Amino acid sequence: MSSMPHNSSSQPSSGQKDVECTFGPEPGLYQTMSMLGQCCGDVGQVYLAIFKPLDIPIALKKFNVDKAKDEMENIQNEIILTRQLRHPNVVTMNAAFVMESHICVVSPLMAFGSCRDLLNRHFSDGLPELAIAYILKDILYALDYIHKKGYIHRAVRASHILVNENGQAVLSGLRYACKVVKHGRWQRNVHSFPPTTARNLNWLSPELLEQNLQGYNEKSDIYSLGVTACELANGMAPFQDHPPTLMLTEKVRGFAPVLLDCTTTCPQFADTGQENQNAQADSGVGDSVESNGNSLEGGPLSTRRFTDYFHRFSELCLLRDPELRPTAGQLIDHSFFKLPRRMNAPPLPQLLHPVIPLTKEVIACQNDQDFFTVTERLSDLDLNSCDWEF
Amino acid sequence: MGSERTEEPILITYSDEEALDEEEGGSRNFDDLEPVSWINDEDTDVPFFHRVDSDQIIYEAKKKRCKMIGKYVMGDLLGEGSYGKVKEVLDSETLCRRAVKILKKRKLRRIPNGEQNVQREITLLKKLCHRNVIGLLDVLVNDEKEKMYLVMEFCVGGLQDMLESTPQKRFPFWQAHGYFCQLMDGLQYLHSQRIIHKDIKPGNLLLTLSGILKISDLGVAEALDFFAEDDTCFTGQGSPAFQPPEIANGHEKFLGFKVDIWSSGVTLYNITTGLYPFEGDNIFRLFENIGKGEYTIPDEIENPLRDLLHGMLQKDPIKRFTLQQIRQHPWFLRKPPQTLEEVPVPPLRGDELHNMTVLPYLMDYHYAEDPASVQPQYYTEHERNAWAEGQNPQCYGSEWQEPVSNMLSKEGSPKKYPDELNYGSPDRHQTEESGESTSDSSKRKSKRKTTSCISVKKFPPCKQS
Repeated sequence: MSSMPHNSSSQPSSGQKDVECTFGPEPGLYQTMSMLGQCCGDVGQVYLAIFKPLDIPIALKKFNVDKAKDEMENIQNEIILTRQLRHPNVVTMNAAFVMESHICVVSPLMAFGSCRDLLNRHFSDGLPELAIAYILKDILYALDYIHKKGYIHRAVRASHILVNENGQAVLSGLRYACKVVKHGRWQRNVHSFPPTTARNLNWLSPELLEQNLQGYNEKSDIYSLGVTACELANGMAPFQDHPPTLMLTEKVRGFAPVLLDCTTTCPQFADTGQENQNAQADSGVGDSVESNGNSLEGGPLSTRRFTDYFHRFSELCLLRDPELRPTAGQLIDHSFFKLPRRMNAPPLPQLLHPVIPLTKEVIACQNDQDFFTVTERLSDLDLNSCDWEF
Repeated sequence: MGSERTEEPILITYSDEEALDEEEGGSRNFDDLEPVSWINDEDTDVPFFHRVDSDQIIYEAKKKRCKMIGKYVMGDLLGEGSYGKVKEVLDSETLCRRAVKILKKRKLRRIPNGEQNVQREITLLKKLCHRNVIGLLDVLVNDEKEKMYLVMEFCVGGLQDMLESTPQKRFPFWQAHGYFCQLMDGLQYLHSQRIIHKDIKPGNLLLTLSGILKISDLGVAEALDFFAEDDTCFTGQGSPAFQPPEIANGHEKFLGFKVDIWSSGVTLYNITTGLYPFEGDNIFRLFENIGKGEYTIPDEIENPLRDLLHGMLQKDPIKRFTLQQIRQHPWFLRKPPQTLEEVPVPPLRGDELHNMTVLPYLMDYHYAEDPASVQPQYYTEHERNAWAEGQNPQCYGSEWQEPVSNMLSKEGSPKKYPDELNYGSPDRHQTEESGESTSDSSKRKSKRKTTSCISVKKFPPCKQS
């Protein structure tokens, strides 16, 4: 399977190579502007910063070492792993250094923020289906690449998907990844339960959560991608209001989340539609759909309709048996991803209208204002939310 | 008496747990009913004993009632040590499997140095952090019940269980090598923290789901004084078969680190040959043999390993290998080829995958709000016996079934199966309290567990099946 990204055109820092050598580990090179969000609880903050020598905006992530404790190892792993990976749909890093009691990581600015931001601010009922097709295809390229490199990501979720100025989706959150290769051998399955993973539990696959001797493999990420597909489509993550233990039993019993639309929420469809959606789902389905769909009756969720391609794609990802789930490489060819071209869809940035990307021009125009308005304007730009996770 | 009752099938409420475990609390289905005494009442004259077919004794599977200790959901028993039980739990926030060691103060007081040892283990484990040393994550105390809960990393089993599940009681060399290297890593860490484990043996080496070896049970470990000049120790409390000659000979003081080297040597000997270098009919004979320091290594053990074993089992602690010498030894440095099949972790109560035992409790908690909707499960004595065949008792704590403690068993011969059934239950409590610390008792206990019944009753709905 080719790892050609669907949108390999220039990144914000085009001509990356020359730029990269100039990104130095000196704190003085970066001027911190405003906070964009937080990551891993209150351990890390993401700042908008200007790289002074080139006067370009970058994202500066600061981890407080004193607070990190359990996360510390993850953060280290993330930095090491990010350096080893090079793919247009996997987050990159320009520099990493220590400043006072902080570890700082410099990465390209992702002008649209994370998909969680987009959902929180503008698309509370979910992103448009075509936008999801664009985004998930990019993420499948990323997963295909990561899996072939011998890693399992273990934290695929909307907040770990960032969208850059060009509408290219980038997978981040590599600090939860684990190696499949052990002692020079490719393991068929791994068994380690990711540490400090409490925030990602809802996205994790049943076989990973079960923690038995069967273990799990890279197909676990495909399940998480299915959950993420539902998250992007429904606006809220599946199992959001469930206690973790109920989420666990639901998944173990084979209940999988569904895309909420008229085929899955309307009472008249409930009998046929729902069962078709999910043959293995049992009594749990009803509860979860109800608690998931906040605007069930008459709301947009019960009137809209996703294509069958999308439904089928999410069902494939969410199959209970990992053996039956396709690989990332196989899923790239799914007909769901042919939709944008067939429907002559505009590029992602236009689909995300009215969200304005945080580009150099926008920032420059804000710089004219005094500091307070800058932060105010920035919060208008919907980047002040708490889910920027690189 | 009772002969007329046997015409009908009998219902026995069956429990995975011990019947009188206070933790369970709650009322029993048939508590109020008079127990049928004839089944194990051997003293009374029963002129004529009506035969009951094992197909006719029907058990009702105990409902899995969800129980929480702090944020942990209780699961089933994993093993039993002298201090108490080890059960599986699930962290309800992180959904991570854990093991909890349940310590009863009442029990601890009866064990010499019991409370002291536990306190020491807690203080030691709290400050330790290494991938090959069992991690203590949480300590919960229930003053009312006089219980203490040590929440630890979850392990699927120990080397001892695995050895016992194989016919030859040993691992292929490559597998043993993997464990031995991890043991040395963990031991090096412990020694760097000035801690002498003093009880290294296969039974105290556990494995996680990913196959990472964890040195566990620091109950008799000693932390050297910060200002101590060397690693001189004065007390040894470990398992006899793994004790070095200096302890067997009753020396007043000895070098601590070398004690762990010796017992690691015995462990390596044991897991590669399936034998013990020293044996004896009783502890005196055993110590006499260890004290002489004479042993043989089976011929099939060839040189680099043979030499390593000799180095680690040197009678003179000064000449005995140091950790550094072991790490530079050719056998340590070169991984043996993976020729023979890996010995797997044996199944727990028939479950090869070692699934979360907490799940049934959670299922009950989340889905069984309407008790009528849940069909009680029944099965017969006959079926139960069939399952019991394939069982493998598992232990966590220090009291493994091992040849040495078998030899040293203070108790008489193990009780016979019918006694263990303990129908009527009042004296069950006693057995539970008295039988400690011998492998026989642990074997018997785990067996008994599977057969504990609360009461025997007529089972009206089943009259004609």
